[in-house]
Amino acid sequence: MDTKLGYAGGAGSDGVKLWPAYLCFIIFGILIPFSQPEFKFTTMIYSVIVALVVGLLAVNLLILVFNSGNAALRQTDGGFAREAVGTGMLFMIPFTALAIMALAMLGWNAIMPFASAAITTAAATAGTEAMKRGAQGVKNVMIPSLVAIVLSTGWMMLTAILP
Amino acid sequence: MNTMAAPAVPRWKTALNMIINPGEVVKSQMTKVPWPYSLTVSGLSFTLFFLQTGLDLQRNGQIEASGVVLMAMLGLLYGTVGVALMAVMVWALSQAGQRGLNMEWAISAFALGYSATFIYALSGLVFSLAFGWKTAVAFGVTGVLWALRPTLYTIKQMSGERVAFSIAMTTLCGAILLIGWALLGRFGA
Repeated sequence: MDTKLGYAGGAGSDGVKLWPAYLCFIIFGILIPFSQPEFKFTTMIYSVIVALVVGLLAVNLLILVFNSGNAALRQTDGGFAREAVGTGMLFMIPFTALAIMALAMLGWNAIMPFASAAITTAAATAGTEAMKRGAQGVKNVMIPSLVAIVLSTGWMMLTAILP
Repeated sequence: MNTMAAPAVPRWKTALNMIINPGEVVKSQMTKVPWPYSLTVSGLSFTLFFLQTGLDLQRNGQIEASGVVLMAMLGLLYGTVGVALMAVMVWALSQAGQRGLNMEWAISAFALGYSATFIYALSGLVFSLAFGWKTAVAFGVTGVLWALRPTLYTIKQMSGERVAFSIAMTTLCGAILLIGWALLGRFGA
């Protein structure tokens, strides 16, 4: 059995699965209003929309960063950036599962630290996955980490002003 | 003939690199870090984390000063014996021995991963003592979450880059640590 998700059959970019990443963002969007003093359904709708926008930005910005920083590699393997991001973003799963556990089992009302750690770890891992596929330089880890920090800070600020 | 050996990387630098670039450290530098050094890092990290938990509980009036000391001692135990046991469990489950990685390597890599927790716990303690803030969750738990990235890379290395296995094991390790902390917090109280 092949347990290397995202590597199945040495897949090209067509075989890359990005839905687990978006699912993680949606779950965070759902969890965030439950960690606030008063739960409102409308807040949850806004929160899910914000989370999805952050998710779309994260995925597409990372693909853009890898493609623009590795032009030569892009010419030989056009799908490398998408594959790297697809595999890297899978590493949001542990943080998402732990956030669910923290809220449901331990009754903690702090979800954003999980979301912030998730997005930063996933972005940096996407960078190392890109390097594994031939991308050159530490910039492939540092720039995605920076993008993730900016996005998670923005996400935190938007969450704070949710109606 | 080049007789000049490459300068050894100081251990504190390796510990800091574990926060910035854990993939590289796990792949090439862990053989140079003895497990007692790494366990000192994780032991100190959890001692400071649990100390803050104790201070938070004391501010709530739930425990006395002796309880705070007890919590710190529990943290030391958790960060040394607990982390080592968890490393051995993952080492056995991932069959890392077949890839030439021994148990000492696993303990050392796992424990050094808590360098980020140490930085967070130290900062939290400063805010706790200076401003009287409750810092266990804000700094302590966040520090443990940031240690999951090195844990992830260590498990990937031990399991031969099996992504699904690494995700499952990282989740399990994180759950054990957080549930364990929550339970010990209640025990200490």
